[in-house]
Amino acid sequence: MGGDDRPKKLDRRDVLKGLSTLPALGLFGYAWEKQRRYQRARVAEAAAAAPAPADLQVINVALLGAGAQGQVLTDSMLRISGLRFRAVCDIWTEYNQKRVVNSLKRFKHEPNAYEDYREMLDKEKELDAVIIATPDFWHSQHAVDCLEAGKHVYCEKEMSNTLEGARKMVLAQRETGKLLQIGHQRRSNPRYRHCYDKLLNEAHLLGRIVTVYGQWNRGVTPDLGAPDRYAIPPSRLAQYGFRDMHQFRNWRWYKGKGGGPIVDLGSHQIDIYSWFLGANPSHVMASGGNLYYDPKTHEWYDTVMAVYDYDTPLGPAKAYYSTQTTNGSQGYFENFMGDQGTLLISESEINYAGQLYRDPNAPAWDEWVQKGYVTAPQEQETKPKSDSGAIADVRESVAPDQHTVPVTLRDPYHQPHLQNFFDTIRGKATLNCPAAEAYQTAVAVLRVNEAIEARAPLAFKPEDFKC
Amino acid sequence: MTKNDMGNDGGVGLGHPSDLRGVLCFSHEAMATVYEVYTAQTDRQYAAQAAQACFDLVDRLERDLSRFLPNSDVTRINHLDAGGSTCVASSTLECLVIARHMFDLTDGAFDVSLGTGLPSLRLDTDGSIVHATANGVRLDLGGIGKGYAVDAMAEMLEDWDLPASLVHGGFSSVLALDPPPGREGWPLTLSDPRDGSRILERLTVRQIALAASGVRKRDHIMDPRTGCPVRDRRAAWVALGRPPGIAAAAVADALTTACMLLGWNQIERLCQNSPGAEAWVLQDEGLRHLGAIEQEIHHGW
Repeated sequence: MGGDDRPKKLDRRDVLKGLSTLPALGLFGYAWEKQRRYQRARVAEAAAAAPAPADLQVINVALLGAGAQGQVLTDSMLRISGLRFRAVCDIWTEYNQKRVVNSLKRFKHEPNAYEDYREMLDKEKELDAVIIATPDFWHSQHAVDCLEAGKHVYCEKEMSNTLEGARKMVLAQRETGKLLQIGHQRRSNPRYRHCYDKLLNEAHLLGRIVTVYGQWNRGVTPDLGAPDRYAIPPSRLAQYGFRDMHQFRNWRWYKGKGGGPIVDLGSHQIDIYSWFLGANPSHVMASGGNLYYDPKTHEWYDTVMAVYDYDTPLGPAKAYYSTQTTNGSQGYFENFMGDQGTLLISESEINYAGQLYRDPNAPAWDEWVQKGYVTAPQEQETKPKSDSGAIADVRESVAPDQHTVPVTLRDPYHQPHLQNFFDTIRGKATLNCPAAEAYQTAVAVLRVNEAIEARAPLAFKPEDFKC
Repeated sequence: MTKNDMGNDGGVGLGHPSDLRGVLCFSHEAMATVYEVYTAQTDRQYAAQAAQACFDLVDRLERDLSRFLPNSDVTRINHLDAGGSTCVASSTLECLVIARHMFDLTDGAFDVSLGTGLPSLRLDTDGSIVHATANGVRLDLGGIGKGYAVDAMAEMLEDWDLPASLVHGGFSSVLALDPPPGREGWPLTLSDPRDGSRILERLTVRQIALAASGVRKRDHIMDPRTGCPVRDRRAAWVALGRPPGIAAAAVADALTTACMLLGWNQIERLCQNSPGAEAWVLQDEGLRHLGAIEQEIHHGW
C-alpha cells in the first residue's frame, strides 16, 4: 500500500473538534472560567447525589401532578442532591402516577402514591415542599392548601387560569411566610441571567430597547390520547372537574381549565419581555382565533398575535408576540432590539445560540469582549463581487458584527430553577421568581385573551400588577 | 459511533403497498432521521395519538442522548474530567449499560466512545450516575440510540394495545411486533446500499428486531480498535428475536455495527451467543449469511 493510500488514522482532534472551538484562555478568561466553575459546581453536586453529605439538609418533597410536566420536573429533581421523594399524587392512578412512582423507585426513593392531595397533606407530616404540576385551574387551590399546611411550594406556570386564583396564591404566601416559586424557569437559566445582569444592566450593550419581537410556533399534532385500558372512570374524572378523558388529556385547550397557547407558551417569553425591559406593559392589543382546530375540543385560540406598549425607565417600547400551532417554522425565541444592538435568544441554545449584533454606530464592545461578556465578533462573509465590479452594494447597510452569549446551560432546562427553589429553602439563595413577581406576568398574559375578545386595546393600570 | 448515516434508507425496505392494505403509517423527524409507526388499526385517531405518544418519547430520549445538544446527558458526560461525575436519566444509564455490555461482547468492535475509553466510565445504576475515571472520553450513541428509541416505542405501542405494529428509525433500526391480521409476518427486504433497487433478501418477520449498518460510496465506518476505516464490507444486517426484558433493537443496532468489523468466526460466535440471531454481510463478492437458521424468520415472502 502506497504512502498516500494508507488508511487515514482517525485524528483525536477531529473527535474533539467541538472543544477546539472554545475560546483560548486569556482573552476569554472570564467566560471560560465562569462556565468551568458552573460545571464544576454542578458536577460536585451530582457527585454528592446518592447519599447526601451530612451537612446538607435533606428536603422531603412531594410531586402533585405526575403528567408530562411533572415528569420533566421529576427528571430534573433526580439530578439535584439532598432531595427525598416522599409522595406522588395524581388522579391518573392507572398510568402517570404509576410511571412516576416506578421511575422514582429506580432511584431508590420510596414514595407513597395518592389520588387525593388532601389525604397526602394529612398523612405526609414530614413533607417540606410540594412541587405542583397539575392543570392550571387546580393551581390556586393546590398551592394555597399546601402553603397553609406549612409546605414550601414550587408551582408550574401559569400561576392560575384566573387572576383571582393567582391573587389568592400571593396572599397565602404572604400570610404563611412559606416560599412560593413559580415555574418561569428562564429566570434561573444562567444564559438569561448573564444577559440580564451583565449585558443589559452592567454593559448596556443594547442601548435603549425600543422594540421586542418573539414567537413560539409549533406544528400540528393530534390531540393527546390515552391507552384505552388505562382510562380513568367517569366518576373520578367528574370529581376532579373533567368532563371526559379527552378534556382531561387536553385541558390546556379548554376555557375554565387552561389558557390556550398564549398562556402555555407565551407566558414564558412575555415574562422575559417585562423582566428585561424593567417594566410592566401599559397597553395590549391582540388578535387571535380558532383558525384550524375543531372549536368544540379547542375552545382557546390556536393562533394569537399580541402587541404590548411599555413605558420603560429608558423610554417607550413596543413588544410583539405571536404564537401559532399549525407550523413550527423557526420555533421559539425572543429578539430584543435596541438603538445600539440586538439580542436574539432562546431557551434552546441549539437553535438560537444567543446572538448579539452591535450596531455599526454603537461604541466598540472591545471591553466586553476582553472581559468575556460576549464572544469576539464572528468573521463576516465577504460578499461576492457584483457584476458591476463593486465590492459592496451601497444601498445596503453594513452588516453588524455578530457576537454570541458565552454561557451554556449544561443541565436540563428546569434544573437551575428548581435548584434555586431548594437552595432558598436551605437559606442559601433568594427565589428567582417569587409569586408576587409571577403575578405581574399573569396579569400581562391573561389580559391578551381578554383583548382578543374585546377586539380593542386594553389599558393596564400600575395597580393592576399589585396585590 | 460513526455508523454512517444511510439517510432514511437503512438498506431495509417494507413490502409493497398492496401488502400493507389496512395498515396506517405515522412519521416524525428526530435524531436526524425519520421515525415511523406502522399499525394495523381501524381507529385512525386512536392510532395517531398512540404514534404521537411514541414520538414524544423519542423526542425526550433525544434530549438526553444527543451529543449535539449542549445540555444533554451525553454532552455532560463528554465534558467530564477524571474524578468528575454526573447524574443522568435512568434511560440514558440503561442505554450506556447496554452499550458497555455490547462493547465487551464484541471485544471492543462496538464502541460508543470510538476508542476514547468507554471502559473508564463507571456506571452507577443505583444513583443513575456516570463517574469518569479518565480524561477525554467522548461518547456518540448514534450506533445504539435509534435502536434504544425503537424498543421504547414498541413498549409504548403495547401499552396502547396496538400489538400489530412495526416501528423503525430511518429504516436502519426496525422492530416488527405482531403481524397485521391475516398475515404471517411483516414483509421486509434487505437491499444494496449502493443500489436500493437491488434486493438481496426478502424476509417475513414477527417479534423481530432488524438493524442495518452500511456504507455508500465515499462514506466509511471507523474501526474503534485501530482508528482505520473499514474497506471490505458494504453493509451488514442483524436480526434478533425479542424475548421479554431485552432491548432487542438496541442490541441488534450494536451487533450490526460490530458485523462490519469482526472476523467471520467472531460473528458466528456472537450469533451463537445471542439465541436466534442471524446476520448478513454484504461484500463486493456478494452476500454472506451467518448465524442460527432455526428461528422464526421466514425467508422470502
